[in-house]
Amino acid sequence: MNWHEIETDVLVIGGGVAGCMAAIPALENNLDVTILEKGKILDHCGSVGCGVDHYLTIMDSGPEWDTPEFLIKHVPELTDGIVDLEVTSKLIHQMPRVLKKIESFGVNFKDPRYNDYYRLRSFGLPGTYHINFDGTEFKKHIGQQVRKLKGKVLTRTMGVELLKKDNRIYGAVAFNFRSGEWYAIKAKSVVMAAGEVNRLSKNASGMPFDSWHCPYNTGDSHRMAYDAGAILTNMEFIETTLTPKGFSAQGLNALVSEGAHFINKQGERFMFKYDEKGENARRAVIADAVINEYLLGNGPIYADCRHLPENILDHMEATLQIDRYTMPAFYEQKNLNFREEPVEISISELSIRRSGVYFRGSGLAVDTNGHSSVENLFAAGDCASVSGGIAGAAVLGHIAGEGVSAHLQTHTQKHLPDFNLDEINSIKEQNQSHLTASGMDWRSFEDQTREVVSNYIGVRRSSKSLELAMQTLSSLAKEEPNMKANDLHGLMRVNEAKSIRLSAEIMANAAMGRTESRTGSSHFREDYPISNDEWKKFILVTKHDESTKLEYLDSDKPLSTAFKRGN
Amino acid sequence: MSSKKTHNPIQINAEVCVKCNLCDWICPGDLIYKKEDDRKTLPVIKYPDECWYCGLCQSICPVDAIEIIFPEEMINCKTDVRTLLGKPVD
Repeated sequence: MNWHEIETDVLVIGGGVAGCMAAIPALENNLDVTILEKGKILDHCGSVGCGVDHYLTIMDSGPEWDTPEFLIKHVPELTDGIVDLEVTSKLIHQMPRVLKKIESFGVNFKDPRYNDYYRLRSFGLPGTYHINFDGTEFKKHIGQQVRKLKGKVLTRTMGVELLKKDNRIYGAVAFNFRSGEWYAIKAKSVVMAAGEVNRLSKNASGMPFDSWHCPYNTGDSHRMAYDAGAILTNMEFIETTLTPKGFSAQGLNALVSEGAHFINKQGERFMFKYDEKGENARRAVIADAVINEYLLGNGPIYADCRHLPENILDHMEATLQIDRYTMPAFYEQKNLNFREEPVEISISELSIRRSGVYFRGSGLAVDTNGHSSVENLFAAGDCASVSGGIAGAAVLGHIAGEGVSAHLQTHTQKHLPDFNLDEINSIKEQNQSHLTASGMDWRSFEDQTREVVSNYIGVRRSSKSLELAMQTLSSLAKEEPNMKANDLHGLMRVNEAKSIRLSAEIMANAAMGRTESRTGSSHFREDYPISNDEWKKFILVTKHDESTKLEYLDSDKPLSTAFKRGN
Repeated sequence: MSSKKTHNPIQINAEVCVKCNLCDWICPGDLIYKKEDDRKTLPVIKYPDECWYCGLCQSICPVDAIEIIFPEEMINCKTDVRTLLGKPVD
């Protein structure tokens, strides 16, 4: 058989923060761990491979707000009542422990100006939970720890499909997009950690890879898990942020936590019209405010730092490159000095991640061990149902790593199933057929998905627009088998394009199911503009035959209530 | 490969580049291709339109041979933001 066959205890799909943090406890428990990663250098791959400047955590430093109990009490209002409180509570309780563990890897969270933690308030949180720090080498230390513990990494390798028998996951099929080698991997458990869904809608620059979050995160976990029968949830919600117009980059947290204002074309500081916290409101709220101001004809909207004291401006300027290394070059080439003039802003493209609020993730429903609704399938990070930025990825990753270790102590199958050669050869042949296909280019295919999402599933939705979107995306699916890839790199993009289209279709279906509006523009139904308490429910999405099935679960129950693993 | 008209965001100074492969290895998008174990060939930006503008290649370059150049549609973006906010359906 023309395959590389691998057998491992734990297969982790995605080598970012969540995937690495899941690998670490499994390795500490002497399990054999293999990571599939599309990047080449583990120390710098994933969403924060080039750096991060803030980290949300409880530190138990003394005041009441810095305790798990205080933050947990505020989670329902932070999530508008739709959150798995059981998993979130565990995540919040584990925050101090995981912070200390990451510090033990060599990450320095302290600000050299004070030789102490510099903590700021932002995004509606009821305390100064964010440590602002120089996380340029954050991922490097985590990657180094995985390598130190002898984790195996298949780089430039993309997972394509999960393998399942008797309702249990037992591995995956993957290929290396530089060498063309194909891998059939048997694993006792699989952890999905391939991030959120980006490249999903249009943005101001019109360049699909100019995205706030990593454009190479395209919902591959969501697609593989959905095809394997896993429950996805919160897929109706979109997320957007505010960015300098023309450059969809990170940096909003630093702006709002340091005290920047947003003003409209009349010079009015408008945020307090929308939320009493003003610029410190939740991301979903401040993005919604800007969307409304644009729709009211009050654009352009600007971020204004001119009122800030020199020492704050100096710090902002000195740390501008931490979240996005190229931000200083952007301002320089634009010939714009943010200290002296307002910066025109736009909303970013949309993503399926956590709808602009902490702890309500869009993706695989998981329990308190990170275990999904399918036996042996775990998830963490921005593809899981509890998500909280980079700290959420680190902590849920660690929980999933401990969860998978405990699971394998008690549920190890004596023998993993033999590969079904017909099945895996068929996956490979279908993939390779794209290299000789003459249909639509993956770029055009993706452009069509983005057009539909921006126009009909984005920040304004109705049953008519969603119906149109579902029809168009369903027609587009028929083009998939004949989608053209010019080379192996293009074959990776073809798979990504499939994940993006499927995620958009699932989003349209779920958005059609939620006949209310919730969390501003994260889910705004023009035909149902009011939030309704009867809608404090999760929408659970599964694949049923070849269509999408929706079920509903009261959100005061844990998502695991809906699992039927039978173990 | 992308068309020749595509803007190349990753400008490599051929006289300074030491042809070490680091930019190829670190690029998260698999855009930069450099022949391995060959100190004669320059890196090639094979898929410039797929750049995230993350600057990892620039940050890791040991001799500062890389500059990130933003295109006109980013630097001087003219898009009406309202066009990103949905279309009415009759």
